[in-house]
Amino acid sequence: MPAAPATSADESHAVERFLREAERRALRMAEFSTGNRAEALDLVQDAMFGFVRHYSARPAGEWSPLFWRVLDSRTNDWHRRQRVRGRWLSWFERDDEADEDPITAAPDLGEPGPLARLADGEASKALELALRALPLRQRQAFLLRMWEGLDVAATAAAMRCSEGSVKTHLFRALASLRKYLEAHR
Amino acid sequence: MNNRLNESSRPNELWIERAVALLDESADALDAATLSSLNRARQAALAQRRPRLSAWMMGSGFVGAALALVLAFGLRQHPASSPMSAPVAIEPVVDADALASDDNLDLYENLDFYAWLDAQQQDGNG
Repeated sequence: MPAAPATSADESHAVERFLREAERRALRMAEFSTGNRAEALDLVQDAMFGFVRHYSARPAGEWSPLFWRVLDSRTNDWHRRQRVRGRWLSWFERDDEADEDPITAAPDLGEPGPLARLADGEASKALELALRALPLRQRQAFLLRMWEGLDVAATAAAMRCSEGSVKTHLFRALASLRKYLEAHR
Repeated sequence: MNNRLNESSRPNELWIERAVALLDESADALDAATLSSLNRARQAALAQRRPRLSAWMMGSGFVGAALALVLAFGLRQHPASSPMSAPVAIEPVVDADALASDDNLDLYENLDFYAWLDAQQQDGNG
């Protein structure tokens, strides 16, 4: 844990360095959740504002789980709003669905899926698809634990759940992702 | 500050390492427009730390200016009610003039005599 910054200017520079170092991964994480870069940018900006306003005065050693906690909270809020919006839209779009052609709506069983895309060399895109297919909590557990490198306790603090829940989410996430990716070796 | 170095606690599997490498690449490959947006967002967030003091000072300045305006307006509307009213300021000046001259002091002390003398002269003329 680094020493606390000596002055306000030092502290501001330290906060900026921390945010600059985390922002790209934060954007990608938000993008995996929203599937949209503009929405992801909004979430990251909100998270930065929330972090600076509420937590930047805390010791630097606490910043990482606190920042991811704010982003996690914003992401969950976004999903809640999407669910409510989806409910309203589905109510209004019932008539449209009734007119949909059942043949075009049927799943394409010949579609290669993320595994085949990975075999074609688009590994990054396949991984992104696999991550997006995960449930929100499993994806967050995987990204915070495996990519961001938080330990179990810090991941639990960021996700506001127990350490046991983190382990369960991570176990399931790894099992799902492995299924996608091991087939491409 | 960053817990990313905590590699020893990760499951040591090749496919996870590959996945993490791919994720790092995707974060490093963000386009310039996106990086610019991130930079603006960061600067805007950090700007919250700076205005705390200046906003407080600006607020105090506004309050001070408003009080000065109210005070000036009140003095203009009610000048006589001011504790620094004119009679208090002028009377000492008159007294000072009277005390400054010996002639004037004699005049004030013998005012009755000069009034009687003036009346005698008028009777004599009449």
